[in-house]
Amino acid sequence: MKLNIEGLLVYFPYDYIYPEQYSYMLELKRTLDAKGHGVLEMPSGTGKTISLLSLIVAYQREYPLEVTKLIYCSRTVPEIEKVVEELRKLMEFYSKETGEKNNILALALSSRKNLCVHPEILHANIIVYSYHYLLDPKIADLVSKELSKKSVVVFDEAHNIDNVCIDSMSVNITRRTLDRSQANVETLQNTILKIKETDAAKLKEEYRRLVEGLKEANVARETDIYMSNPVLPDEILQEAVPGSIRTAEHFVGFMKRFLEYLKARLRIHHVVQESAPQFLKDIFEKVCIDRKPLRFCAERLRSLLRTLEIADIADFSAITLISNFATLVSTYSKGFTIIIEPFEDRTPTIANPVLHFSCMDPSIAIKPVFERFQSVIITSGTLSPLDIYPRILDFRPVTVASFTMTLARTCLCPLVVGRGNDQVAMTSKFETREDFAVIRNYGNLLLEMSAIVPDGIVAFFTSYTYMENIVASWYEQGILENVQRNKLIFIETPDAAETSMALEKYQEACENGRGAILLSVARGKVSEGIDFVHHFGRAVIMFGVPYVYTQSRILKARLEYLRDQFQIRENDFLTFDAMRHAAQCVGRAIRGKTDYGLMIFADKRYARADKRGKLPRWIQEHLTDGSLNLTIDETVQLSKHFLRQMEDQLGLSLLTLEQLQSEDMLQKIAQIAHQA
Amino acid sequence: MDEEPERAKRWEGGYERTWEILKEDESGSLKATVEEILFQAKRKRVFESHGQVRLGMMRHLYVVIDTSRTMEDQDLKPNRLTSTLKLVEYFVEEYFDQNPISQVGIITTKNKRAEKLTDLAGNPKKHIDALKKAKDSTCGGEPSLYNSLSLAMQTLKHMPGHSSREVLIIFSSLTTCDPANIYELVKTLKALKIRVSVIGLSAEVRVCTVLTRETGGSYHVILDESHFRELLMFHVKPPPATSSSECSLIRMGFPQHTIASISDQDAKPSFSQAHLDSTSGGPGLSMGGYFCPQCQAKYTELPVECKVCGLTLVSAPHLARSFHHLFPLEAFQESPLLLHHTERFCEACQGELKDKSVFTCPSCNSVFCVECDLFIHDTLHCCPSCIHSRSAP
Repeated sequence: MKLNIEGLLVYFPYDYIYPEQYSYMLELKRTLDAKGHGVLEMPSGTGKTISLLSLIVAYQREYPLEVTKLIYCSRTVPEIEKVVEELRKLMEFYSKETGEKNNILALALSSRKNLCVHPEILHANIIVYSYHYLLDPKIADLVSKELSKKSVVVFDEAHNIDNVCIDSMSVNITRRTLDRSQANVETLQNTILKIKETDAAKLKEEYRRLVEGLKEANVARETDIYMSNPVLPDEILQEAVPGSIRTAEHFVGFMKRFLEYLKARLRIHHVVQESAPQFLKDIFEKVCIDRKPLRFCAERLRSLLRTLEIADIADFSAITLISNFATLVSTYSKGFTIIIEPFEDRTPTIANPVLHFSCMDPSIAIKPVFERFQSVIITSGTLSPLDIYPRILDFRPVTVASFTMTLARTCLCPLVVGRGNDQVAMTSKFETREDFAVIRNYGNLLLEMSAIVPDGIVAFFTSYTYMENIVASWYEQGILENVQRNKLIFIETPDAAETSMALEKYQEACENGRGAILLSVARGKVSEGIDFVHHFGRAVIMFGVPYVYTQSRILKARLEYLRDQFQIRENDFLTFDAMRHAAQCVGRAIRGKTDYGLMIFADKRYARADKRGKLPRWIQEHLTDGSLNLTIDETVQLSKHFLRQMEDQLGLSLLTLEQLQSEDMLQKIAQIAHQA
Repeated sequence: MDEEPERAKRWEGGYERTWEILKEDESGSLKATVEEILFQAKRKRVFESHGQVRLGMMRHLYVVIDTSRTMEDQDLKPNRLTSTLKLVEYFVEEYFDQNPISQVGIITTKNKRAEKLTDLAGNPKKHIDALKKAKDSTCGGEPSLYNSLSLAMQTLKHMPGHSSREVLIIFSSLTTCDPANIYELVKTLKALKIRVSVIGLSAEVRVCTVLTRETGGSYHVILDESHFRELLMFHVKPPPATSSSECSLIRMGFPQHTIASISDQDAKPSFSQAHLDSTSGGPGLSMGGYFCPQCQAKYTELPVECKVCGLTLVSAPHLARSFHHLFPLEAFQESPLLLHHTERFCEACQGELKDKSVFTCPSCNSVFCVECDLFIHDTLHCCPSCIHSRSAP
C-alpha cells in the first residue's frame, strides 16, 4: 500500500494499516521535519516497528540530504532480529513496487556470531543494534563514533533508558575486582620488561605519541567526524598526557599505588558516602595522587594495551574497569556519588565490601547522543507519564504523543482488586505486608483465578524476598495445594538457568492443556524480556505495587539528586518507577490485537488517581470506575464474563487505502494521538 | 407481543449491567432500544447454510461429556451437570429427528478416566435413559481429553469410509490430565478424518483450540444457557463432508411394518432382535414389527442395522427427512418495513407486520414476519407460499 503522509510518499508493505499506525507516522514525520527529538508511546503489537521503518526509509529517499542514516537501537537480540525481519519485508516491497534494485544498505549488529567487519558498513543507510553500542562509552567509542550528524536515532522499548544510561556510567568495585586488577598489573609489568628487552623502540614511539598529546582526537572532533565520548570530555583533549604516567613503567607504578589506595578504602566497618571531590581530596592526601593523571588513566591504559599488542582484551577487563573509574571520578564533580559498603544489607555478618561509584544523572550518558544527532526518537509501549522522560534525560522534544489501540473488541480487561471477600484491604504496603489476612487474601485471589482462567497465569511479586515469604505461608495455609489442583506452579529464581528451565516447562504445561502459573518478580528477567502471547498469559496478576527497594543508599542518593537538580519529588519518581514496571509486567500478556488477557492489579493503591494516572493511556482507557476496588468475588465474576466473551476471535480494526482517504477517518485519526 | 420467557431469576445471574445497554433516543424515551433488544434476540440468525455442498449425511457421533469437579459449578442452573445433561437429552432427540440414518454414542470423563455411557446406536431411547440415570452420578477429579478421544477413536476408526466420523466434546474444566502427549493423538485423529468439535463451558483452552483447528471442527465457548443450547443445536446439522471421504453405494432395506391380525391363529408373538442382548426390560414379545427383507429378522424400531445380515434398515420418510439438508431453503432477504407499503400482513400467519424488518422469499417474493421466518427455516424447510403456487394449476 502506498500512503501519502502530508506530502510524503510512504511505501507500506501491508495491505491494511491500523489507524494508530497512520497517526504514529504523522507524528513521526512532523518530528523529522522539525529536526527535533520525539517521545512516542504506542502499545506493543500494533506494528510500531514497521511504521517507524517505512516512514523513515521513505523520508530518507525523499530527502537524501536531510537524513542520511537511520540508527535503530533495540534492547535484546531477538528484538533486533524482529526488526531485521520487518526491514526485509519492507525492502522486498520496495523492489517490487518501484521495480528498481534496492540501493539501501542495512546493517544489524546483534551478536558476535553475526559479526561483519567489511568496510562497506560505514556507508550503510540503516543500522540496527543494541542500546549499548550508542550509550556505553566503552563500546560507543569503537562502534558509533563515526556516525554522521544527519542521522535519525530511534530507541525502541525505551521505557528503561534512564537505567541503561546510569548503568553504563556506573562502576562497582569489589575485592575480587581489585585482586584481578592486581594480577593484570603484574602481567603488564612482565610484558613491559619483555618488550623492553626485545623492542624498546616501540615503547619510545608510544612515549613520543603521548607527548604529542591527543591532538589528533581533538582535530577529529572539531571537524565533526566523531561523536563525543562522555568518558573523554573536551578539556582533556586540549592537554597532553601528564609526565608522571607517560612512560609505561611509571604508569604501572601509578596504577599499583591507586589499587593499594582502593584496597585500603575497602577495609572499613561502616558505610561511607562521599562525593567525587571529597574522594579526590582524600586520595591526594593519602597517596599523593593528583587529579590530572587520574583523568588520563583510561586513555593511557588503552594506549599501553595497544602498544603491548595484547590480543585478549577481555582478560584485562578488571584493570580497564578501574581505569575507567579513575577517569570518571576525576572528570565529573557532579552527578556521581561514591558509596562504600562493608557488607550487604541482608547479610550483615559476612564481610563483602563494595565500592559503588554510581551515576545519578542519566543525562550524562545520553547527552552526546542528543547533541550530535538531529533527531532522536524515544518510543515504547509504556512511556507514561510522558513528560518525565524529557525531564530526567534533560532534552527538549518537539513531539510528545501517546497513541491508543483501536480495537473492535475490548481485548484487555484491567481490574483493580482492593479487598478480599472479608473486606480486608489488599495491599503490599510495608506496614501490612506481613499481615496474615492480606497474605491469605492474596492466596485466595490466586486460587480463585486459577480455577477460572484457562492455560497460563503469570503472577508478579514486588521482590524475591516478598515472594518467598508469601509462598512459604501459602504453603502452610494449604493454599498452594489447592492451587495445584487447578494448575501447576513454577517459580522464577535469581538463577538464570533455573528460570529458563521453569519457563520452558511452564510453556509446555500451557500448551498441552494442563495449565500453569508462573510466579515471578517485577524487575526480574521474566518481567522485562519475555512475552506471554495468547495462551501463555491469559491473565497477569500483579501482587502489590512494585516499588524499588527504597532503603538502598544508591537509590537514596539518586532521589536526592533528582530533587535538587530536576525538581522531581522523591515520591513522584518512585511512583513513576513503580508504575512503569507494573505496566511492563501486565503488558506482557497483550502482544497484539488478536491476543486477549486479564490484567489484575491486586493492591488497593492502584485505584488512587496518582497511580492510575501513570498507567499508559491504552490501559487507562479500559479502566472504568466499575473495575476499581473490587472484591475477589466481583473480580471472579467479571473475569469469567470477560473470558467467555473473548473466545470468538474477531475484529481487527484495519483500514484500507480508500478508507484512509475519507475525510472523517482522518479526523478520527487525529484524535488517536493524544498530545501530552 | 408475548413476554420473553425468563431464562433465569434475575438475582441468580451474574453482575449484569443491563442499564449500560440502554440508550435514550432523541425524545428521551427508552422504548426504541428495548424493542431493538427484543428484536435482536428473536432475530439471532440461525446458522449460515452451507449452500450446495456435499454433506456427511451418515454420521457417527460420539458426545463426550465432562463430568469432572468443575461440573458442580452453579453458573448454569441448578448446576452445570444437570443443565448439560438436560440439553444433551434434547440434542439427542433433535439429532435423530434431523439425521435419522445416523448414530450417536455417549462418553463421560472424570477422575482422569473415560467411560462409555452408551455405545454407538441409532436409537434415541437408550441414550436418553442413560442420560437420565447419569444425573444422579457424582462429579469429581479431572477430565482426560486423551482418554476420551482414544476411547471414541477405537470405535470410530472402524466405521465405513463414507460416513462422517465426529466427536463433540462438552468441556467444562480448564485442564486435562493426559497419560501421553495429546498432540500425537491429534495427528492420529486427523489421519483418521475424525472431526472433533468442542463446546467450552468456561473459557478458551489452548489445547482445544489446536484440537479443533487441526481436525476441522468448531470451537465455541458458551455465554449463558441459551447460547449453550444454540451452540449445541448447531451440531444437529450435518457438517460438510470432506472432499477425500469415500463415495459408495449403500445397500439399504426398507421393511414394511406388518402386524399379524389377531384373527390369524398362526401368528405367535416373537422377540425383536434388538432386544435379545439388551438388559433393559421392556416388552420383549410383540406380535408385529419390521422384518428385514434379506433375512427376515424382526425389529420393533427403525432405523437399525440388522444384527443378522448387517443390512441398514430404514424407512422412506427417514431418508426424506434428511433430504432438506442437501437442498436448504435459501435465506430470506431482510428489509425494513417502511419499504413495504403494499403488504401489511405476513403471508404465513396473516398477522399484521409490526417489527421494523420484514423478510422476503427470493423466489416468490412473499413477505413474512420474523417469527414465521424462523419457523420456516428451522422447521418447515420450505417456503409455504412457493409450495402453494406450485401446487396450484
